[in-house]
Amino acid sequence: MTKNMPKPKVAFFSFTCCEGCQLQVLSCEDELVDILNLIEIVNFREAIDEKRDDYDIAFIEGSVSRQHEIEEVKKIREKANVVVALGACSSTGGLNCLKNKFPMEEVKKVVYGEKSKYYKYFDTIPARPLDAVIPVDYYLHGCPITKSEFLNVLKALLTGKRPDMPNYPVCVDCKMTGNICVFEKGKTCMGPVTRAGCDAICVTYGAVCWGCRGTVDNPNTESHEETLRIYGLTADDLVRSFDLYGGWNKYGGSK
Amino acid sequence: MDYRFLPKKGLSLFVDGLLKDFKVYGPVKMDGFPVYEEVSSAKELLLMHSPSHITPKKYLFPQRETLLRFKTGEKPQVEHAADADNQVLFGIHPCDIHAIRLLDRVFAYGTPDVNYLRRREKTIIIGTECLPDKFCFCRSVNTMTAANDFDLFIHDIGAGFLVKIGTEKGKELLFRHVKTRKATIKEISKLVEFHKKKESMFTASINAEPSTLPLIYSGSYDSPVWEEIGKICYGCGSCNLVCPTCYCFDVRDDISLNMKDGERYRVWDGCLLEDFAKVAGGHNFRKTRGERLRHRFNRKFQFQVDKFGGLFCVGCGRCSRACLVNINIVEITNKLIEERETGKKE
Ligand code: SF4
Ligand code: SF4
Ligand code: SF4
Ligand code: SF4
Ligand code: SF4
Repeated sequence: MTKNMPKPKVAFFSFTCCEGCQLQVLSCEDELVDILNLIEIVNFREAIDEKRDDYDIAFIEGSVSRQHEIEEVKKIREKANVVVALGACSSTGGLNCLKNKFPMEEVKKVVYGEKSKYYKYFDTIPARPLDAVIPVDYYLHGCPITKSEFLNVLKALLTGKRPDMPNYPVCVDCKMTGNICVFEKGKTCMGPVTRAGCDAICVTYGAVCWGCRGTVDNPNTESHEETLRIYGLTADDLVRSFDLYGGWNKYGGSK
Repeated sequence: MDYRFLPKKGLSLFVDGLLKDFKVYGPVKMDGFPVYEEVSSAKELLLMHSPSHITPKKYLFPQRETLLRFKTGEKPQVEHAADADNQVLFGIHPCDIHAIRLLDRVFAYGTPDVNYLRRREKTIIIGTECLPDKFCFCRSVNTMTAANDFDLFIHDIGAGFLVKIGTEKGKELLFRHVKTRKATIKEISKLVEFHKKKESMFTASINAEPSTLPLIYSGSYDSPVWEEIGKICYGCGSCNLVCPTCYCFDVRDDISLNMKDGERYRVWDGCLLEDFAKVAGGHNFRKTRGERLRHRFNRKFQFQVDKFGGLFCVGCGRCSRACLVNINIVEITNKLIEERETGKKE
C-alpha cells in the first residue's frame, strides 16, 4: 500500500451473539495506532458513535436469527466489497443453532415466557450462519475469534492476499504447541475434526477442544463417533458433543 | 570404542559444567508424560523414560522457525535469520539418534538447508538407553542400538554411569568437566547384558528382514489395505508431526501491521493433511486419505530408501502411539508381508 492511497473503510456489524468477538477486536490496544493508520473505521457500535454507510470491508458478527436481520445483512452485502464473517456465530452458526433443535414456537415460549401473551409476536427464525443468507468472502472462526487471526486477515486484505484459513484439525496445533493429547489422559475431545488456528488454546490450558471453530472441510465424522464411543461416550454424550457447535449442519434446515 | 566410567555424583557436576556454555534440553515429566524441555540441573532429567510424544528433532528443526526478515520501502532489505545457540540434547534414545542421522542427510542434500545445518553444528547429542513399550520396534529395523552419530552415550549401571565416547567434541567436554576413568570389561559387559534384556522385551516386531521391506512396499501399491485404513483415518497428520524422520514444512510470510517489515517462516507440515498435495488451481494429487497413507508408508520404506540408501522408519512407534484410530505401522507392514507371502489380497 502506498501512502497516497485512500484508507479502506471498514465497518463492524453485530447480530445475534454475545458480542465477544467485537471485544476481541477492541482488545487490540497495542496495535490500534497501526490499525488506524491503515484503515478508517466508519461503523462500530461498540467503539464509535459515528455511523456511515460508505464502507469497503464489512466484518459481521453474530448469527442471523430474525426475519429483519436477513434484510439488514443483505443491505450490507450490497454495499461492501468484502464481507468477513466474524466469529463462530457468524461463520458456522455457532451455539445459537442449538435452538434449531426445537420448534420456534417452543423457543419463543421459553425465551419470552409462556405467560406473556405477546410471545407469539416476537420475530424468531432458526439461527443460521451468515453464508446461509448472503455470500461470504472470508471467515474468522472461533468462539471467540483470536486476535492474531483477526490481524492476519486484516493484513491479508490490505496487501491484496487471500487470508490463510487452516484446513487441518486442532491436533496439528497440539503438536505445534507440544501438548499431551487429552485422550491419553482418559478425556475426550473434538479436536480431530475441528478446524485449527487457535493454537489449541483450550487444550494448552488444561481443558479439551469443544469444536468452537467448526469442522475442517472433510471431517471424518464417522471415525470420530467411533473413537468417542470407544473412549466411553454414550449415544447422548455423542449427540451433545457434535451438536454444541455443529447445530447448523445438523438441524439447519428444520423449522 | 572408548568407554569411561563416571561415578554417580559426577553426572550433576557434568550437567552443571555443560550449563555454563550450552542450553541443555532433556527429558522431564509433564503431567506424568516424558517431554523434552530446557533444564537447569541434572536433578530434573529422567535417566530412563518411555519415548516422548514430540521428538527431540524440534531443537534442530523447530515447529515454527524464522527463515528471513525483510524490510519493505524504497530500498527493500532481506536478512537471513539463522540464529542458533550452542545446545546439548540429553537423553536421546537410539531410535532418535538414527533419526537425526537421517535428517542430517536430508538437510544436507541438494541445496543445503542453512538453518538446520547451523543448528546441527552447534548441537551436542548425549544418548541414553531405554526399554521398549508395546509400540517400539527398533529391533526390527536395526536401530535398537546406536554405534555412533552421538557425541556421548550415557548408561546407568547402578554404581555409576558407563559413558561411551562418540566424538572428540564429546570427549573434550566430558574431560573438561568431570573426572572419569577407563571402564572395566565388567562394566562394559553390563551394557551388553542390558541390550540382551532389551532385545527380549519387544512385543511389536516386523515379520521380515528390513532389507526386504522396500520390495514388499513397492509390490503393495494396489493392496486393499490402503482403502481400508483410509476409511478410518482422520487425515489429522498426528503421525507425521510426531515422526522423528518427517521433515516436510510449509513456508509463509508475515508482514507487521506497520507494513514496513516482516518475516518469512516455516512450520511443520505433513502429507496426511488434506491440503498438503493441493496445488494452485485446487487440484489435489492425493485426494483420498488412503492415498495419503500409502504415500507416507512408502516414504518410510521405499522412496526414501532409494534416495538416501536406508529405511526412513527408525521404529520409534510414535505414529502408532499418536493415532486415535489405531492405524499401526507394524500391523500394516505385517499385513502387506502376509499378502505377499500368501499371494492373497483379502
Ligand atoms: S488433545 Fe484433542 S486436539 Fe489435541 S491432539 Fe488430542 S485429540 Fe487432537
Ligand atoms: S481448542 Fe477447540 S474449543 Fe478451544 S478455541 Fe480451539 S477450536 Fe475452539
Ligand atoms: S524404539 Fe527402541 S530405541 Fe526407540 S525408544 Fe523404543 S526401545 Fe528405545
Ligand atoms: S494419526 Fe492416524 S488418523 Fe491421524 S492422519 Fe495419521 S493415520 Fe490418519
Ligand atoms: S514412521 Fe512411525 S515408527 Fe517409523 S520413525 Fe516415523 S513415527 Fe517412528
